[in-house]
Parts: sequence; C-alpha cells; structure tokens
Amino acid sequence: MTSSDHELDRLRRGRSELENHYIDELVAGRLNRRDFLRRGSAVGISVPLLGAILSACGSSASSSTTPPPAAKRGGTLRVAISAPAAAVNPLTVADAGGLCMLNQTGEFLIFDNNLKLALEPMLALKWSPNGDGSVWTFKLRNGVMFSDGSPMTADDVVYTFQQLAEPKNASNALSTFQGVLSPSGVKKIDATTVEFHLDAPNGNFPYLVSSDNYNAIVVPKGTDFAKWQGTFIGTGAFKLKSYAQGSGASFVPNPHYWGTKPLLAGTEFKFYSSQQPQILALQGGDVDVIGQFVPAGATALLNGSTYRIIKLKAANHRELSMRCDQAPFTDARARQAVAYSLDRKGMVTALLQGDGSEANDYPFGPRFPSTDPSVAQRNQDIPKAKQLLSAAGHSSINVTMDTEDYEEIPQLAQVIKADAAKAGININLNIESQSNYYGKATFGNSDWLDGTMSLVDYGDRGVPNVFLNAPLVSGGPWNAAHFKNKTYDSLVKQYVAALDLQAQRKVAGQIERLLLDQTPLVIPYWIDGLTASTPSVGGLNPTSIAQLYLNQAYMS
Amino acid sequence: MLRFVLKRVALALLTLWILSVIVFLAAQVLPGDPGRSILGNLAAPSAVRTLDHQLGVDKPVLTQYWTWISHFVQGHPGTSYQYQSAIGPMLTGALGRSLKLAALAFIIVVPLGIFGGVLAALNVGRPLDRLISTVGLSATTVPEFVSGIILILVFGIGLSVLPISATAPPGSGFFTQLKYLIMPAVPLTLILFGYISRMARAGTAEALESDYARTATLKGLPRGVMIRRHVLRNSLLPTITVVATQTGYLIGGLVIVETLFRYQGIGSLVYTAATHKDFPMLEAGVLTIGIVYMVATLLADIMFALLNPRIRLRAAE
Repeated sequence: MTSSDHELDRLRRGRSELENHYIDELVAGRLNRRDFLRRGSAVGISVPLLGAILSACGSSASSSTTPPPAAKRGGTLRVAISAPAAAVNPLTVADAGGLCMLNQTGEFLIFDNNLKLALEPMLALKWSPNGDGSVWTFKLRNGVMFSDGSPMTADDVVYTFQQLAEPKNASNALSTFQGVLSPSGVKKIDATTVEFHLDAPNGNFPYLVSSDNYNAIVVPKGTDFAKWQGTFIGTGAFKLKSYAQGSGASFVPNPHYWGTKPLLAGTEFKFYSSQQPQILALQGGDVDVIGQFVPAGATALLNGSTYRIIKLKAANHRELSMRCDQAPFTDARARQAVAYSLDRKGMVTALLQGDGSEANDYPFGPRFPSTDPSVAQRNQDIPKAKQLLSAAGHSSINVTMDTEDYEEIPQLAQVIKADAAKAGININLNIESQSNYYGKATFGNSDWLDGTMSLVDYGDRGVPNVFLNAPLVSGGPWNAAHFKNKTYDSLVKQYVAALDLQAQRKVAGQIERLLLDQTPLVIPYWIDGLTASTPSVGGLNPTSIAQLYLNQAYMS
Repeated sequence: MLRFVLKRVALALLTLWILSVIVFLAAQVLPGDPGRSILGNLAAPSAVRTLDHQLGVDKPVLTQYWTWISHFVQGHPGTSYQYQSAIGPMLTGALGRSLKLAALAFIIVVPLGIFGGVLAALNVGRPLDRLISTVGLSATTVPEFVSGIILILVFGIGLSVLPISATAPPGSGFFTQLKYLIMPAVPLTLILFGYISRMARAGTAEALESDYARTATLKGLPRGVMIRRHVLRNSLLPTITVVATQTGYLIGGLVIVETLFRYQGIGSLVYTAATHKDFPMLEAGVLTIGIVYMVATLLADIMFALLNPRIRLRAAE
C-alpha cells in the first residue's frame, strides 16, 4: 500500500456511502477530475476535501487558468450588461440583466462555480441527502449578516424558499420547483439547519437551490419582494449605492460581508438594450467588462488578442421540434431525415464562430457529467436522409417552420432550410417577434407550441432535468413536439430520482438512444457562455447564465 | 390672436384624447401580456396569471382605461407595469434628456439648413446649388445607425476624442454634457439638414421670383437689404412648419440613436413599453410626445401668424 492509498483511506473514513461511491468512481477511472469535482460537490463533499482526495489520487483540484496580472486594490470597475427587462424583483426576475443585478448583492445557498465546474458552499456550508434523495439537509454558515447589519438565520432561508415555491405567488422559480418542492416542505430544524422535504426524490436538488436557480437569493424574513429594488438587501460582497431604472446601477463593498473583502472600491453597471453598443463601449474604453455576449456580431472581440475572453461550457441551445402527431412527422423516419440533413459542424463554425459544440438531438451534452458519451454523434448524411424520407413514404415534403427573431436564430433557420432542401424537405420560414411566436405560451395559443416545426431557444442550466421534463415528457408544458412515450416518461423519472452518477449515466444512455430513435426534436448545437474584458481586468467570476461575481475582481 | 390660440388649444386637447384612445386600442391588439413579459416566456402559467391579477391587467379593458385616464387627468400618470415604479419621475427624466438632445440637434441644424438653403437659392443652377442639394439629399438617406457607428468608430474609438455614450456622469456641467451629446446630435443633423435646406431653398427661390422682390429690386434697394427684408421673411414660413413637424421625430423617434449611444430618452422608453405591453407607461409616453408635438406646432403657428398677417386675419374672421 502506498502512502497515497493510506491518505485516501484516511479521507474515506466518516464519509457517507454516496460520497465513497464517487471516490470509488474516481479511483476506477469512471469519473474524470472535472466530473468528480462536480458530482462530489453536489452531494456535499467540501472543496478542500475534494482537493485532498484528488491529490491523493495524483490529480490536482486547481484549474489551469493563466496566472493573473498583478492585482491592485481600489478602482471602480465599469461593466456593460443588458438592461434589466423589468423591475429587479427576486421573485419575478427572468432575464439576463435582472439576474445579474440580483447576484451583485444577493447570495445563494450554493454557488455553481462554472469556472471550476463544481458546486461551492455559499450561504450553506454543508448539504446531504437522506437515503433516497427525498430529504436534503442544509447546514448554514454562521455569522452571516445582511447589508443592513441584521443576522441571517434559518428563518430567512425558510421564508425565501417558501415564497419562491408558493404556487399562489407570481414566482418565476415555480418553473423549477413545481412538482419538486412545496412551501410546506421547507423546514427549520435549528437556527443554522434547514431541511427540504421534496415532493419526489431528486438526486440533483442542490442545483435547484444554487445560483443556477437565479431567483433563489436569500432575503430577510418578511421581505416585500416588490420593494426589494429599493434596498437590494442581501448578504453579498457588495451593497447598493444607486440604481437608475433603465440606465445603470452602482455598488460599494458591504461592510458586513462574511467573506474576503472585495478588492474593488466599487462597481458601476451600465445598461444597454442591444449587444453592439456594448462592444463599441468596450472598444472605446467606456466600460471594462461585457458581462455576457453571443458570438453573432462579436467578431471584433473574438478575433485577435486585444481582449480577455472567458469561455464557459454551457447548455444554451436551440430545439427544433417536429409535431409527432401531425403529418408529415407522424413517422419517426421523416423526423430522422431532418436530423440527418443538417451540417452541424458548419453551423458551429458559421453561426457561433466556433464558440460551441455539435449536439446530438437529446438534452445531454458536454456540460453534464451524467451524459453517456458512448452514443455516436449524428452527422450530415444526405443519401441517408433521402432514404429515410422515402421509407416514410415521401419523395419530398413541404412544411412550415415557426421561429423567433432572437440572437442567431433567424440565420440558423435559414441554414436549416438550405440543408433540409438538399434532402427534399422544403421548409417555409415564419420568423416572428418573440411575443408573437410565444403568444400565450399555452397549447392552442402559441406558434411555438402549435407549429408543425418550431425552432426555440433554451438557456443554460446546471443539470438537464428541466430540458428532459417540460419539452419532452407526455403532456409537458413546453412539449412543442407533442411527443408521447411511456418508456421515455418512466426513464426520466428514474433519472431524476437517481442519486449516484453511475445510475444516472446508465439511464442517460437509454434516454439518449431512445430520443435518437424517435427524434421528436433536433438540437443542432450547444452554445458557450462568453464574457469579455480589457486585459487589465482580472478575477472575474461569471456564470453561463449571465451572473457575474466581482468579489475577487481587480484592475491592474 | 387670443381666440386663435384658444381654438388651437381646444383642438389639441381633443386630438390628444383621440390619441390616447388609439394607443389604448392598439395596445390591446399587441400580442402577449405584461405578466408573461416580466416573468419570461417559460414562466409557469399560474405565476403569469397571479402577476397579471396583481397588475390589474385581467380587469375589463374599459375599467383599465377609465382607471388610467381618470388618474392621468389629475396629474397621476400611475405606476409602470414593467418597472413597478412611479412613471412620473422616469418620464420627466427621459423627456428632459430627449429635449436636451433635440435642442442641440436643432441649434446645429436649423441655422445650417436655412443658411445652406438660402445660399443654394441665391445660386440656383450653379455648382454651389448642386453641391448643397446633392450633399443634403445624400446625407438624408444615410440611416442613423450607419452614420452613428461610423462616428463612434472614428471619433470614439479611432481618435478617442469624444465619449461613446451620450449619458454624461451625474452632476456634469454644461460643457461636459455638451461634449457627450455632440456625437449623437450629428446623425440627426445629417438627416434633417437636407430636408430643411430644401424647404429653405424652395421658399427663397420662389420669393426671389415674386413680384414684390422684383419691385424691391426695381425701386433700387441693395440686394442684401432686399433679401433680408422681403425675401427671407416670406421664404422662411414653410421652413418653420417643417422644423415644427420634426419635433415629434426628434423627441420620440430616436430609438436607434438612443440605443446606439446608451441614452435613455423618451423614444426608447416608449418603445420598451410597447414591446412589454406596459400600458400606463406607453400611454403616458405617447401623450407626452403628443403634447410636445402640439406645443411645437402651436408655437410654429403663432410664429407663422406673427410673420404673416394673412393667417392672423383669416383666423380672426
């Protein structure tokens, strides 16, 4: 036995069965370093311990980023972000600008650190599930204070999550918590312990109370969410200095912050209503950072080395659904024909400037450790597409595709139309404004959900649960493909409940193969999350859903 | 004169009321609802219903209209659905900024346009006339986002002499604000120059051809005096109307310039309100633009009447 084996044995002692399972997976080589960090942190292994286990296994926990330039204290960092689309109300915020504002002063129980691809303790120090993953216990950090100097306790956490999960509230988090967590399931055990009793077992629950669920910043008990914008009260490293509706916001260090004090003397956010002026502002020195941008129209930033670009593997993607209950897509072979007609590599190069990766018509991708990577990537194969189409009884088909005018989607629709035409699939495009396309977002009142072919955008998530459920399970609220498959439904239930990675990956493989066989929808690519700054800025910690933590940011 | 003004004010009020009804009806036709636009496209339907109820947009349309207009006439423009805060301060702030930018654009373009037009008219058919007309017309066809981006690339990024954003830091003095506003004012100047100079040219050319101009020349007035006293006074009448009718555009129609230069004027405020179905904000914004427009055209009419006795007399009849 080597000394590192002894060290590993020592570390294993006192760890739960689930935690030891992940250590086994790592030792056996079934889990790589990155996935181990991600999965281990999800079941509550602390980051120092994760590092110790990795080093005992001959790996290192530190990520391989370039060394930063000399950090300097002070200065006001100027950041360009999309203007918040509505009031900054933690309960209702749903857009990139708004959620970036929430995270300036607000903190979550857990931080999903996209740079390290691991869950990190934020307001919760430890978390662990019961045997079947139906009850999760969170131990809160001691001595945390809100920016007004009042202490944060379990009461505040219980209040926050009860409000977010309350079906009677106009809560945006309901799209995550419905069927997972009810208000009565949030229970205070003592001043620093909270239990979540779930509606159904959920192996990925920590992600749902992490920064992934961007509404879930902890606010003081009794907070009137509609008035939160007046105070921005939170436990974060910064506190509000001023907020000007539609124009900008500035923040200064929070003297009551529990963690390492920020290096910056302040931050200033400038709101923009489109991307191009943000790029011009960075080029002209009006701002130091662009919080988040998309590759389309950003060649000035991506070409050359003038700017520092932070790329995050993200699960942003597009879904092209085909109505399984409507001609010509009642036959799975007609749907597969569409999938085989597409040149995904070309799309990633042309539409994303390479800042993304090909996807494979199921919502498992490189972002998620539970993905079964053994399933082969679909590539363009026009003869096969034609053959599938004729097997489905068509020499050619004519069909209309509804889609929205958003980011690169109109161009993607054009590329799909051109590719599909090569296989004899003639697509008429109906590109609408977002409000026209989504309509009332219910069946019968929405081109998105009613169209024979429909191309829609999906933002990033830390786990694929939402992508697996709403757009694909029978009767799912976003099931634009009108896909109904009992085997699929039960596989998703198994996947959501599965606690350990091996079980998740096994079910994931089954789901991947089933979805390729059925092809209710095509996912052409995954899009990276991008943040840009001038070379003098360092220590940025963005997430792929547009949050930006500036605790350790500096200007040299 | 007083009767003329009163009649115009009464007519303006009626027009504004009709405008409010049209905006209200148009807003009903727009797709989507405020709750969904706030909570996002993928929000749970129950959450959207709750928010719509809290905002009051699930009430009958007539009730909504009555609640809004009865408060508006008492000086309470209400609360924005989208921003959940009082409309008054947001609107006055945006209006102030829009007026500043419009004023600067006017100060540059009106004298320049009139000077160019008169100069062209005095040289009808000569190269100078052709030059002014061609340059003016070409400039009018350049969209704001093209001229704006070129200006930013040259003066903001290339030479770094002017700020890219039009929003000066809070508490800036007059000259600092001016520095921030010059670049966004130029695209507007380019668009309006051709228009104003053509009107001034046409008016001046017509006046130069008139009998009274010929009489003035024949009775021996020096050319300069003849132009100042007889030609300009008559030739500028249509120009004043053109300038006044452009106020609406300069106050409410600058969405592109405001977006490009990150300037929160009333144009982008109204545009965002329309896309989010923020009905109280949309109504208040459109009516404010309407009021500014009415005041501008009223002032133009008064000036017109002062310069041209025929209007005054006809109105008084």
